[in-house]
Amino acid sequence: MTMETTELKHQVKEQIIKFLNLTTLKTEDIKDDEPLFGEGLGLDSIDSIELIVMLSREYGINIQDPKEGRKVLVDVNTMVDYIEKNRTK
Amino acid sequence: MLYVHNSNCISPQQTFPDTALDLLNESRDNQLLVKEPVYSNIPPGILRRMARAVRMCVGAALPLLKGIPEPDGIVIGTANGGIEDCIKFLNQIIEYKEGLLSPGSFVQSTSNAPAAQISLISKNKNYNNTVTHRGLAFENALMDAVMLLKEKKDGCFLIGSVDEISDYNFNIDLLAGSFRKEIVSNRQLFDHPAIGTIGGEGALMMTVSNAQEGAVARLEDLQTIHTPDETLLLETLKHFLLRNGLTQNAPDLLITGENGDIRLQKFYQAVESLFPEHISIARFKHLSGEYCTASSFGFWMATEILRKGKIPDIALKKGKQTEFRKILLYNNYRGMQHSFVLLGKPVG
Repeated sequence: MTMETTELKHQVKEQIIKFLNLTTLKTEDIKDDEPLFGEGLGLDSIDSIELIVMLSREYGINIQDPKEGRKVLVDVNTMVDYIEKNRTK
Repeated sequence: MLYVHNSNCISPQQTFPDTALDLLNESRDNQLLVKEPVYSNIPPGILRRMARAVRMCVGAALPLLKGIPEPDGIVIGTANGGIEDCIKFLNQIIEYKEGLLSPGSFVQSTSNAPAAQISLISKNKNYNNTVTHRGLAFENALMDAVMLLKEKKDGCFLIGSVDEISDYNFNIDLLAGSFRKEIVSNRQLFDHPAIGTIGGEGALMMTVSNAQEGAVARLEDLQTIHTPDETLLLETLKHFLLRNGLTQNAPDLLITGENGDIRLQKFYQAVESLFPEHISIARFKHLSGEYCTASSFGFWMATEILRKGKIPDIALKKGKQTEFRKILLYNNYRGMQHSFVLLGKPVG
C-alpha cells in the first residue's frame, strides 16, 4: 500500500465521519475492511445517498448506476480503490 | 376542556429534567439558546441526524411515553420546524447548482419531522398532526387536542410545540426589527423598553386527556384572534371573561408574554388595565426569549405554578404569592396574533 493510499484512506474516514455526523467515532475506530452497512458501521439507505453526495463533491465522481454503488460502498478499501481509479479532482 | 398530566419543557432555563427557574441563565448576543440535555432516550444512530428542533422535541417527548406507551395521537405546533437545516438545504441548491444534494438536511427540515420521529421511534401509527400557525401554532395544537378529546373521550394524547433559533433567520428578523439592535441582557429586558426584544427557542411536550385523576392542570378555555387593534382585542377578552364567569371574580394570576418591545406594550397595558389592582401579574419572555411558540413556555410555567402553588420570584411582575386556582395566560406575537388561555386547578 502506497503512502498516498494510506493518506486517502484516512481522509475518506474523516469525510465519512463529517458527512454522516458520526461524532462519537474517530478515524481509528473505522477499520479498512469493516462493512459500512448492516454489521460494522450500521449505516442505512439515507447514509448511502450521503456517501454518494460526498464522492461527487469531494472527488468529482458521479455514481449513476445503483449496482455500481453497491460494489463501491462496501467498506473503506472498496471506496478508496474506486476513488483512485475514477476521481476527477 | 382537557386535563394536563405530565410535561417536559426543554428551554433556555433549567427546566429539564429538574426545574430551577430562579437560577437565571443569561442571554448572549440577544439570544436565549436552549442548554440541551443528554438525550439518553434517543438511539445514537438516529440522534446524529436530528436537527436541533427535532432533538429538543423528541427528547422532551420520549420520557413521557413511559407513562403512556401508545398515545391515541401526537400533535405538535411549530412555526418553523428545523429552520436551520431548511436554510442549509436551500443554500445547497444554490451552491451545487441544483445538482446532487445531501438528503439529511431536507428530511430534518420539514415541519412535521418532530412528530414523525416520535412516531417512528415509538412505532406509533395513530393520529399524527403538525400545526404551523406561526405565532399561534401552539394554541392550535391545543385546539386540535380539545377537538380530538371530544371525539375520543377516553383518549390520551401527546401534544406540544417546538421552535429553534436559526442564525440565518435571526439575522433576517433582526434586520426586520424584531430583535434589539443593542445588546441587552434578559435580566434587564423590562428595565429599558425599546424597539425589539431577544430571541429564544424551546420545546414543550405533555400528555393530555379527559381524566382528572393525576392531572396537574385543567385547560378551561382558549381563544385566539388576529388583529392589530387593541379595542377589538379588549372586546374579545371581555367576551372571554364573561363566558368563563370571570367578570366579578378575576383570575388569581395573569401571565403575559410581555417582551420588552415598546411597540407591543399598548396591548399588554390594555389587557392588564381590565383587571383589579390586586391581581398578581407574571411574565416569562425574559426566561424563554421570543419565538413563535413561546406561549408554550408560559403555558408550562402556569401548570408549574398550579402544581407547586408558587410563582417563581424571577417571573413575578407585581402582586404577591397567594393560592392560585385560575390563571389567565395572554400572549401576543408581533402585535397581530393574540391568545387567551385559561388554566385552572384540576380539582374544585
